[in-house]
Amino acid sequence: MKSISLYSDNGTWLCRVHPFTKVMYAVAAISVPLILGSLWAFAAAIIADLALLASGKVLRRARALIVFSFTIIATIFIVRSLFGQEGSEIMFSIGPVNVYREGFMIALRTGLNILSMLLAFAVLVLTTNPQDLSTEMERHGFSPRFSYVISSVFNIIPQMMGTMSTISDAQRSRGMETEGSLITRMKAFIPLITPVVTSSLITTRERAMALDARGFGAKIKRTYPETREKHRGDTAATVILALIVVLSILIKAALWLS
Amino acid sequence: MAFIEIRGLKYRYPRAAGLQLDGITADIEKGSFTGIIGRNGSGKSTLAEAILGLVPQFYKGAYGGSVTVDGLDASRTPVSSMCRKVGLVFQNPFNQLSGANDTVFGEICFGMQNTGVSAPEMRERAEEVMEMLGISEFRNRNPFDLSGGQMQRAAIASILVMRPDAIILDEPTSQLDPAGSEEVFRAVDDLRRTGLTILMIEQKIERVAEYSDMIMLMDGGKLIASGSPSEVLSRDDLEEHGVRPPLSLRTAKALSFRCSDGTYPVTEKEAAGLMRGRIVISEEENGKESQAPDAATENAVMEVRNLSFSYTAGTEVLHGVSLSFDSRRTAVIGQNGAGKTTLAKLLKGLLKPSEGSILFHGEDTAGKSVASLAGKIGYVFQNPDDQIFKPNVLDEVMFGPLNIGMHPDTAEMKAKEALSMVSLDGKESRNPFDLDLHERKMVALASVIAMDTEVLILDEPTIAQDDDGKLMVSMLIHTLSERGKLVISILHDMDLVASSFERVIAMAGGKVIADGEPAAVFADSGVLSAAGLELPHAASLGRSLGAKRIFLTDSSLLHSVHRL
Repeated sequence: MKSISLYSDNGTWLCRVHPFTKVMYAVAAISVPLILGSLWAFAAAIIADLALLASGKVLRRARALIVFSFTIIATIFIVRSLFGQEGSEIMFSIGPVNVYREGFMIALRTGLNILSMLLAFAVLVLTTNPQDLSTEMERHGFSPRFSYVISSVFNIIPQMMGTMSTISDAQRSRGMETEGSLITRMKAFIPLITPVVTSSLITTRERAMALDARGFGAKIKRTYPETREKHRGDTAATVILALIVVLSILIKAALWLS
Repeated sequence: MAFIEIRGLKYRYPRAAGLQLDGITADIEKGSFTGIIGRNGSGKSTLAEAILGLVPQFYKGAYGGSVTVDGLDASRTPVSSMCRKVGLVFQNPFNQLSGANDTVFGEICFGMQNTGVSAPEMRERAEEVMEMLGISEFRNRNPFDLSGGQMQRAAIASILVMRPDAIILDEPTSQLDPAGSEEVFRAVDDLRRTGLTILMIEQKIERVAEYSDMIMLMDGGKLIASGSPSEVLSRDDLEEHGVRPPLSLRTAKALSFRCSDGTYPVTEKEAAGLMRGRIVISEEENGKESQAPDAATENAVMEVRNLSFSYTAGTEVLHGVSLSFDSRRTAVIGQNGAGKTTLAKLLKGLLKPSEGSILFHGEDTAGKSVASLAGKIGYVFQNPDDQIFKPNVLDEVMFGPLNIGMHPDTAEMKAKEALSMVSLDGKESRNPFDLDLHERKMVALASVIAMDTEVLILDEPTIAQDDDGKLMVSMLIHTLSERGKLVISILHDMDLVASSFERVIAMAGGKVIADGEPAAVFADSGVLSAAGLELPHAASLGRSLGAKRIFLTDSSLLHSVHRL
């Protein structure tokens, strides 16, 4: 089955780390540089992300994300640093093209910010089973329905994608053109989308009954087949990460007050 | 007091005109195996849902009478509590997967999690049912990746693991191939021996007859009869209620063989025990049996040459298939995953060959788009809900003809004609989604027939059909063939293959392993086991009665067996 989850268990320590620890890491890695606002903080976060990704052996898989982010970052650089506002300082020139300092710095900060967010997010999603995360959330007080929605999305969306390609085949078989001009594509929209909606409704109704028939929604505290073994250092790491966030807020506040 | 007591149960769905259940009274004892039979729309599934309480709690609607399960009122006890008394396995294995688990083990634990079973017990019970249903090896697989038969066994395991006192199986094999059905029936047979109370809704009457202690016959929402299999199935009015008696019974009846209690034998084994040595079987073929091909193979309508195909590089689904299709009615059979649907989609042009070529009247179809081939090759998909989108039946059926450039008047005429062929005349202005699944399936069939294509490919046309529906499909195939169409059908119903097709192509592992007349293909036990197929009932009963030849149709068997 084509999965829409980016996670795959490669057996490294990072996959075994508790999902909450990784969520805390992502929160810290994204928020601390934002709070402190210094370029060094962004650089430190990005280095930490890359080190984690490398140690978890998922750096290669994160490459696509990095490449993707570079296209955005490049655009920001062009827009922000080449079209300086009146009075801003020219940092350097390449032939007739002037690069403005202020725009360049804004672009650099935005670019690093995007990269840091994507990488921190990659540490979480590439090494965390979404089902593990939702189960842990449920255990810590989130509603089972909420957790069901999260984990079912990862399983059911790929199925719906399969249904969509079958529907497209079925309508093409009846002579409907799906490729070509905009008008052709617009005409194909209703015959394609209606069966997707109706068959999802039918499936959803049946699935809702099947869930009921398996006691989903019973007013009993849910139990779990396996207790998740805490990874060594989970608690310590979470506490330290939280402290770093608090500390960065304090530093920022102190700087602001002085 | 019986374990399940149904008293004067009446039920009407919201906004429906008539009663779906009309005054049902029945008792189901603990430990019994009850078969529920009847035509499509007779109320069988609704009754199953009423026992669990989904009717009326899930659907609402008008409800009268009572259902009690072990003393609990089914109309008021929440389904999430009642599920500990009664488990329900639905027809479609796919739709009953919770979708919240990425392993079979997790899926099986889902119900126990909801009912608060402790972790060690949960693991123990899950292992036990996986073992029982033979799915332990799939424990860490994603349930959505399993085959239909495996998925349905996982669904049964997920219900059983909750240890209900009774389990209701609603046509659990209707969407499975013969091998998948066999897996499920074998599991059901094992369950039966454990003394669990089982209710099974099933169209495969031979199976119901074999397993049941009691059979309930339903029609029009009413309980027509209930009693032992031989009592109910021996009724003269059975066919009037849309159920064909098992072939064993019909054969015994035709030859006046009765059991000691005056009823007729209902299983092949009973019939053979009663009749063997007291009958003579004419081994001569009576002409009609042999479906000799009239069409010469040189008049090939379609040809595939050295066809190979793979969805992902390195894993070939078809390997070097070469076939020539003349005007003979052709059935393509084999297990799920044998490559049948892939072959059909290649013929239709929905997929492009990795290697080899496909010719339509000698012309390579490689460069043609699906839409441009649509007027020549029709394809009816398995699931009608994958195509229906118009608000009324006539428009839905006219969609294809209009797309291929038919004049609106001609399209309407063809559409009406096609609808009358599938007995849907009079329902032209209905919304297709107000029709039952078996009728929607007929709408999909009509929508392709109306396109008047030279070739018609049908993917499992008999799924979800009852005996009347199957008969209609069989007649339709004959009519289309008589009109000069090439009909190619993927089928799991071996009785229909044997009785309505002139040529059978058996596939396994992406290759054609047999190609010939039905009698020759079914006579080859090696082919049958390699393709995971079973014999048609006529052939199987014939063999049990001691015949040497392969009987393809019920009538040929009935004509050839005589009492000594």
